[in-house]
Amino acid sequence: MKVVSQILVRIPLILWAFIVIFPLIWMFMGAFKSNAEIFTSPWSFPTDFSFTNFERAWNDYNIGRAFLNSFFVTVLGSFLTLLLSIPTAYALERVRSKFGEVLVNVYLASMMIPSVLGWIPLFFLLMKFNLLDNLWALSLVYAISHVPFTIFILVGFIGNIPKELEEAAVVDGMSPYGILFKIVTPLIKSGIMTVTILNAISYWNEFFMALILLQTESKNTLGVAMNLLKIDAQYDSAWGVLFAGLCIAVIPVIIFYSIFQRHIVKGMTEGAIK
Amino acid sequence: MTFSSKSKYLFLAFCLLPTFLLFLIFTVYPMLGGLYYSFFDWSGTSANKTFIGLDNYIRLWNDSIIKKAIINDFFFVFVKVIGIMTLALFFAVALTQLKIKEAPFYRIVFFFPNIMSVVVIGILWQFIYDPNMGIVNSLLNQVGLTDWARPWLGDKTWVLPSIAIPAIWAGIGLFMLLIMGGISNVPKSLYEAADIDGASEWQQFWHITVPLVWPQIKTSILYIIITSLNGSFVLVQVMTGGGPGSASEVMGSYLYQRAFEDFQFGYGAAIGVLILVVSLITVLISQFILKKEKVEY
Repeated sequence: MKVVSQILVRIPLILWAFIVIFPLIWMFMGAFKSNAEIFTSPWSFPTDFSFTNFERAWNDYNIGRAFLNSFFVTVLGSFLTLLLSIPTAYALERVRSKFGEVLVNVYLASMMIPSVLGWIPLFFLLMKFNLLDNLWALSLVYAISHVPFTIFILVGFIGNIPKELEEAAVVDGMSPYGILFKIVTPLIKSGIMTVTILNAISYWNEFFMALILLQTESKNTLGVAMNLLKIDAQYDSAWGVLFAGLCIAVIPVIIFYSIFQRHIVKGMTEGAIK
Repeated sequence: MTFSSKSKYLFLAFCLLPTFLLFLIFTVYPMLGGLYYSFFDWSGTSANKTFIGLDNYIRLWNDSIIKKAIINDFFFVFVKVIGIMTLALFFAVALTQLKIKEAPFYRIVFFFPNIMSVVVIGILWQFIYDPNMGIVNSLLNQVGLTDWARPWLGDKTWVLPSIAIPAIWAGIGLFMLLIMGGISNVPKSLYEAADIDGASEWQQFWHITVPLVWPQIKTSILYIIITSLNGSFVLVQVMTGGGPGSASEVMGSYLYQRAFEDFQFGYGAAIGVLILVVSLITVLISQFILKKEKVEY
């Protein structure tokens, strides 16, 4: 009986694992195939493993440039998010006041409001400041959009730090700035890790803000460049190149995820939603 | 804190003010601005901005495409809530309760689509559905169901379910993890007691697991509703652009086209307000339906 149920449960598990993995394997195989192979033998392994498609995607279709732009936006955006969120989270957790409560609720409420509503004014605001088509500005927009979420995760972690540590530092004559950056920040390292991993993945993957706020091809991030590559590939029938482009966009996240997946799971199960 | 009050306030200002100012400029202002712009007829150059009161909203009321878009949005909400929650709950229970040795493998694999960009997912699935080189039609042909093969994304009746499948595909992992987190907090003694009382696994599922992870289930459902109403359009815009005709149009994709392709920014802003109103009403109603007393243990 036990054996039967063990097998029965595994059928949907294996099936779903297959449904998740197969499209990805198909994508990787497609990246090494010629157009003819993609059409005539969609299920088979590529006949020879040449990197031509990858080279063409990287050089001829601007994916290389977009890759670097995405990298820049991801790193700068993640850093700015922390810079803006850690002090706020600390102040909100440690100094309980009416004002602080209102502020928490304002940040919380903003998470419920669709960002789509703000697109049009944001576009014109950046246009007025001459910040359209600017990767620094895009990073800042990303960072601020994730500030509320980041604050909520970090407040929980700061709440777990024993107050005695900070009190001892005060006795030793440390300034509040010193306490914040030299004591509190290192102690919430695991919270910072979790939230930064999640932020970085969403900045790397973001598409619509970049589509609206960037204009020239040399500034495009991967999402926008992939969308353009798809349109170009349709005209040129460069299907293998498109598959290669998809791989280039996904491979860094796979590597990043394999290194940090423990933290994601931990943050997800211990973190915000209890 | 034990600092002098002046330096304390300076420190608090240092902590809170810069972030809040940037938040006002880049989050609050755009949202209020969206409301403001919705009362104008505006093509984007300031010279052409005329106040037209509620005309954009009257136009929305009479727009048959937006009605179709709202219905489509709710189709996605409904199918995603049912599809994602059923599978996520099943997988979460299977991977935590049933002593499966290779559970970590499934956990990693099932979460994997969650880290992929929606653009990449959209393009990949567009290929999967491609009438000529896609694997769906190729599979149907191989098993002899040649009549079933069709241009999935070009077919008015099949386009919505075809987009819903990758949406579910990409969503399960996250909610499975959230529910697994909930299950890991349920005291083991409850299941042991139920075993002694002779309760079947099915009974344990309904009478122990579901009530005790209800907070996680509720949060997940609300989160799916919000993200679906605010985010389905990315997949739609990438895979079909709302087509064929307006068969797969959703509110967000319609906003993007009106504002950033046709330069009707006032009308686009009104669609933005509509998305906000529809989201808030839906969340309130769902919260009321999902309300259930919290179980103490």
